[in-house]
Amino acid sequence: MRGVARVGVYAPLLRLDCAAASRALKFSGLPGRRDGFRAVGGWDEDAFTFAVEAARGGSPPDALVFASTSAPFFERLHATLAVDALGLPRETRSRDVAGSRRCAVSALLDALLGSSSDLIATGERRAARPGSASHLAQGDGGAAAWVGDDAPARLLGWASLSHDLVDVYASREHPYPYVAEERFVRETVAAEILVPTIRRALESAGCSGADIQHAAVHEPVAGLWREISRATKSAAPNHAADVSAKLGDLGAAHALFAFALATARAKPGERILLAGFGSGCDALVFEMTRPMPGAERAEAALREGLALTDYVRFLSLSGALELDWGVRSEFEQKAQPTVLERYGRDALGFVGGRDSKGNVQFPKSRIPVRPDADGPEPMQDVRLADEPARIVSVTADRLNYTPDPPFWFGLAQFDIGARVMMEFTDANASGFSVGDRVAMRLRIKSHDRRRGFRTYFWKAAPAERPALGG
Amino acid sequence: MASGIKDKVAIIGMGCTEFGERWDKGPEDLIVDAFEQALADSGVARSDIQAAWMGNALDDINVGNSALPLAHALRLKSIPVSRVENMCATGTEALRAAVYAVAAGAVDFALALGVEKLKDTGYGGLPLRTKGLANDLWLPYGSAPGSFAQLAGAYAAKHRLNGDDLKRAMAHVSWKSHQNAVNNPRAHLRKAVDMDTILKAPMIADPLGLYDCCGVSDGAACAIVTTPDIARGLGVANPVTVKAVQLSASHGWEMSYGAWDGSYVLNTREAARRAYAEADVKDARTELSLTEVHDCFSITELVTMEDLGLSDEGRAPTDILAGTYDRNGAQPCQIDGGLKCFGHPVGASGLRMAFEVYTQLLGRAGERQLQTARLGLTHNLGGAPFNSVAAVSIFGRLH
Repeated sequence: MRGVARVGVYAPLLRLDCAAASRALKFSGLPGRRDGFRAVGGWDEDAFTFAVEAARGGSPPDALVFASTSAPFFERLHATLAVDALGLPRETRSRDVAGSRRCAVSALLDALLGSSSDLIATGERRAARPGSASHLAQGDGGAAAWVGDDAPARLLGWASLSHDLVDVYASREHPYPYVAEERFVRETVAAEILVPTIRRALESAGCSGADIQHAAVHEPVAGLWREISRATKSAAPNHAADVSAKLGDLGAAHALFAFALATARAKPGERILLAGFGSGCDALVFEMTRPMPGAERAEAALREGLALTDYVRFLSLSGALELDWGVRSEFEQKAQPTVLERYGRDALGFVGGRDSKGNVQFPKSRIPVRPDADGPEPMQDVRLADEPARIVSVTADRLNYTPDPPFWFGLAQFDIGARVMMEFTDANASGFSVGDRVAMRLRIKSHDRRRGFRTYFWKAAPAERPALGG
Repeated sequence: MASGIKDKVAIIGMGCTEFGERWDKGPEDLIVDAFEQALADSGVARSDIQAAWMGNALDDINVGNSALPLAHALRLKSIPVSRVENMCATGTEALRAAVYAVAAGAVDFALALGVEKLKDTGYGGLPLRTKGLANDLWLPYGSAPGSFAQLAGAYAAKHRLNGDDLKRAMAHVSWKSHQNAVNNPRAHLRKAVDMDTILKAPMIADPLGLYDCCGVSDGAACAIVTTPDIARGLGVANPVTVKAVQLSASHGWEMSYGAWDGSYVLNTREAARRAYAEADVKDARTELSLTEVHDCFSITELVTMEDLGLSDEGRAPTDILAGTYDRNGAQPCQIDGGLKCFGHPVGASGLRMAFEVYTQLLGRAGERQLQTARLGLTHNLGGAPFNSVAAVSIFGRLH
């Protein structure tokens, strides 16, 4: 039976305390979210890095689909980049989907209706104008789902509806969300889109709303599930609301993140309703047969985080405020396609080499760094992205330009022997010290704003994240 | 069998401009000023110079690429002129090339000149620069203070030092250099600073505060070298001679092989070992009268004292706080103020160090003259502790 074989989630470290943001905006009288948290990506994160982080750890798929409405490139396939970043075979089929918050669930449904083992990796980092409700309601993050046979969450039924209801849009001319009146959305979406589609999905699965124990329904406005559950006679909690409260609305990643959370909370035999919304709806009904690999990260991701109460820093990180970083920021970071062709895949996949005597190094070189090497040697590829490391030396550099000072960097010593001078990221309140254990995270390495290009590499982050408020 | 450089080359003239924010001087002015001083000091004619090497590290900051800026500024008439660059060790590289040319017998008189016009960047500190297109895909764009600051954490971890104790020793390094520079009319910063000010200064790269870092400067320094025999013929009976010039460059071991602990600079140790052998120095602590080391940051000078063998490993903080390297200490260091206060026009710094040793050896240092100046060492370090070029040179009189 086809189903979801594994799930993955990722949320950035910082969590904006929406109450603090609301206080900063009080003078304006603008309505905004006054409670809960909003996940905020670091300066070096984007929809692609979120998707890759969520998609780490599973089996190699036949095809990889990247889903997002905030992908950094119009013409450069993120799914192909993800193949390299995840160290997958280059024969893996790849495609991007976009156009609606629903795109990840739609891609998941397509995969479930197919016959191959597909990976849906979704990430979202949407821009919004400060003061808009969207700016605080949205959140940054990613999720992933692997599709296969004999899966822990087996698909029982599904339904789809294509319906251009413009509750929100963004366009090339207007890249920020333009939102319709909430009452219109609340009344129309439930009645015309979500309820009828969910009813058809339940019929397809041969069950009723009362047979659903868990919901992962992406609500376009908070609280809509109450009306839907009444109409469908379901008493299930909507785990998507938890994601909204702790991380914000994750756009394309929201439903799959909520689904991962639902699988973590569901017992074998229980049923989960997954619904993606946006220009219509895809509703899917699953039955859990056994514990879901990767689901445990969903609960942890909601618990972890570093509270952000500095509204100006949030504005800067979310791209809503462009600070003048001074002359030192005038630095060309142009990446050349020829160089990317030669070295880009090893950088994106963090692939080093093992020399003839077993020493591992990054980057690879013709003559190994091993002291007794006295000529060129063949090197075997070794992926370092998933290898643990510790800090040999480190500093918080406050001189050089970085969009979110300070600039942490130093030497990381991998347990398997490689040593790399690299950037550190996701510093917690105590920063980094010599001897700290670190894990690798895919991040933006350089951002060439003049030419609209970015490169990615791995950065060392604390091996453990703090509990939010801890 | 190589016999080394000891006493094969004499320095017969040196010049050094004032270092600092030379808003009124372009690179041509700095080159000409340093050269004219050296020429007058040497007693030879401009036309006697048969080959020249220009040291300039950041050619894109006004000076311009190639060696032509030197040839043009000095109107050197169709002689071989080359530019050398090896990061902050560039000045010593220019001198090394000139010294080797004379020692090889290729020329009788050679010129080494280092120049830098860093204050035309428009801001403090060194500019952020590409590390090569492939390296830019993964290497961090860390600043110089950020790269050297890492020595401190690794040093403290290795020797189980309290961070505050190390910080105090580092502060003493800068305090001493500020004291020394007061007596140096060419110095960029001629102002004494108290320990409290140093310790409470704003952080630049943890744990380096503002006063733990040297600034960057405009300036030029120059040397004219020949053989001791020719020097004698010019009436210099006991010239300053080169006892050793050694260079050691990283080959990736520190930053890519898992053995270095991050607390010292391997290349300083290697270059010093070879320089002591070349100069026949058996006991650096008693034989060296003064040292001019690459104190780009206070922590660099601290670990350099150990890397040069002047302090036992783990003892540099104690020796520094005991005043061993102060002006009146057993082993005066940075008597001219060092990079910290004399200034750091990158391509000129190695030659500036040699200039101070030369001046001290000839007893011309005025208020800052040491009572005994027989043998002096310069240590010129380029790059970062994990990827460096270290030059160690020793100078003395022929007899």
